[in-house]
Amino acid sequence: MMKKFFLYTFLIFIIQIQYSYADKTERSLITQIDDPHIQIGSNFFGGKLLVFGSISGRDLLKSDIIIKVQGKEKKSLIREKIKKYGIWINNKATLVEGVPSFYSIYSNRNINRITDTEFLVREEIGINNLKFTSRVGEPQVHYVHDAIKKKNTESNIFNENFTGIRIIGDKLFRSSIELPQEIKEGTYEVSIFFFEDQVLIDSDISNIFVNKTQSGKYIYNQANKNPLLYGIISVIIAWCAGLIIIGVSRVT
Amino acid sequence: MYLPIAEVSVNILILFGMGGMVGILSGMFGVGGGFLMTPLLIFYGIPPIVAVATEANQIVASSISGAYAHWRRAAVDIKMGTILLMGGVIGSLFGIRLFVLLKNLGQIDLIISLSYVILLGIIGTLTFVEGIRSMIIPNELRTIKKRNRERLWIYSLPLRTKFKKSGLYISIIPPLVIGFFVGILSSIMGIGGGFIMVPAMIYLLRMPTNVVIGTSLYQIIFVTSLVTILHAYENQTVDIMLALILMTGGVVGAQIGAALGHRLKAEQLRFMLGILILAVCIKILTSLVIEPQDLLTITDYI
Repeated sequence: MMKKFFLYTFLIFIIQIQYSYADKTERSLITQIDDPHIQIGSNFFGGKLLVFGSISGRDLLKSDIIIKVQGKEKKSLIREKIKKYGIWINNKATLVEGVPSFYSIYSNRNINRITDTEFLVREEIGINNLKFTSRVGEPQVHYVHDAIKKKNTESNIFNENFTGIRIIGDKLFRSSIELPQEIKEGTYEVSIFFFEDQVLIDSDISNIFVNKTQSGKYIYNQANKNPLLYGIISVIIAWCAGLIIIGVSRVT
Repeated sequence: MYLPIAEVSVNILILFGMGGMVGILSGMFGVGGGFLMTPLLIFYGIPPIVAVATEANQIVASSISGAYAHWRRAAVDIKMGTILLMGGVIGSLFGIRLFVLLKNLGQIDLIISLSYVILLGIIGTLTFVEGIRSMIIPNELRTIKKRNRERLWIYSLPLRTKFKKSGLYISIIPPLVIGFFVGILSSIMGIGGGFIMVPAMIYLLRMPTNVVIGTSLYQIIFVTSLVTILHAYENQTVDIMLALILMTGGVVGAQIGAALGHRLKAEQLRFMLGILILAVCIKILTSLVIEPQDLLTITDYI
């Protein structure tokens, strides 16, 4: 209870400071990410990203907010299993480009009621509005792209939460965005859209950074940047472990 | 715990337990355990290519201690082991190229699973049948077959040399071929390959049984070391954190296994091991034959 009280007091304090700044720059939407640096450590089983903010001179109770968190686009290979000689094997791969490494939409209500479809498609808001490119023809292209959306949604890489933004009082909005344990290292773009009567009033973009902790990052970097040295060190460690086993066996 | 190379979060106690369990089996049966550990890691959710590479690294540690025990008893034919090793080096280099090719074709997971089905099917059946036979027919009534001392055609191949320790004068081609074959298996399956090498050395090379295990372990140390380095270099799939957990579990497990092994009857142990291996084999086979819930797989394009 006390923790929440201090948190909200802190949020209002931050927003008040930013309001004074906003007055000068004529920005109406003020947003803040609690901690834009997410660490994937040895005990990482997913995390939460606290996004909050407010808008000056507007009544939040009559407004809508959408938050989009998106990772860098990457190329994916999709393969369908077919039955051959009695077993299920992977068929030829299809290359699909423009797939975000992570994609999450949070809003205070169904996004299709917040604004028009044209805007949602243009800004790629909503899993169904994501655009990929691949060299497969119709009608297979829809099948492949839908499959990517379905697979990524099942593995928590893509998600939508239409009740994921809370309005506190008439000034403050707050959202706790789930980051799954499958999230990869990288920079992620957080876009916040503020609507009134289906019209976009203001938007804001900021970045969050997902990094492995020092030890994990060091191991990953060494494995990828100095693979030969990493391999030799792995073997040396195994040799040492083997010698320890000999020592333990002799003692027992 | 988050594994930096496998890029998955795992329960350290479960992995430690798996390392321990396979360690117990190693201690009880004197097997390396790679052929059980790699499938278990895959069942747990470790990507197959990481499971194979990391298990090769763990086998280095477990085979060093085993080889040391045999070396102290002077039960290692270094010359034979070195020739097997030469074959193993060529085999593992070839195996890694094959691994990379299959990975790029998107078929490596299938090949790993198929190899395990065949291998575990054969070993499991043999161990199970042997276990039952031992339980049904008492030791004293079993006819002891004399080793066939007939000359095999492979003895007459060129490049013959003397193996003092084994008391043999044979061509180096058969051990080179055996080593080569085991090297390929080690690269693709993340195993030491002792359970193939040992029977091959006994029945094909006609080596005395007292030196075969030590010699095979000697070869395994160096081949799995090379396989680890090659996987790290070509695929960047050796997860040192995972290997350390498994090694630690293995040390504890092997001690417990060695103690348990003395208390239980050998034929019962063999019977149990046979059932366990066959169960793992059936589980992998089922995943290949039954229509998967999800027919699509997505991988990052590198």
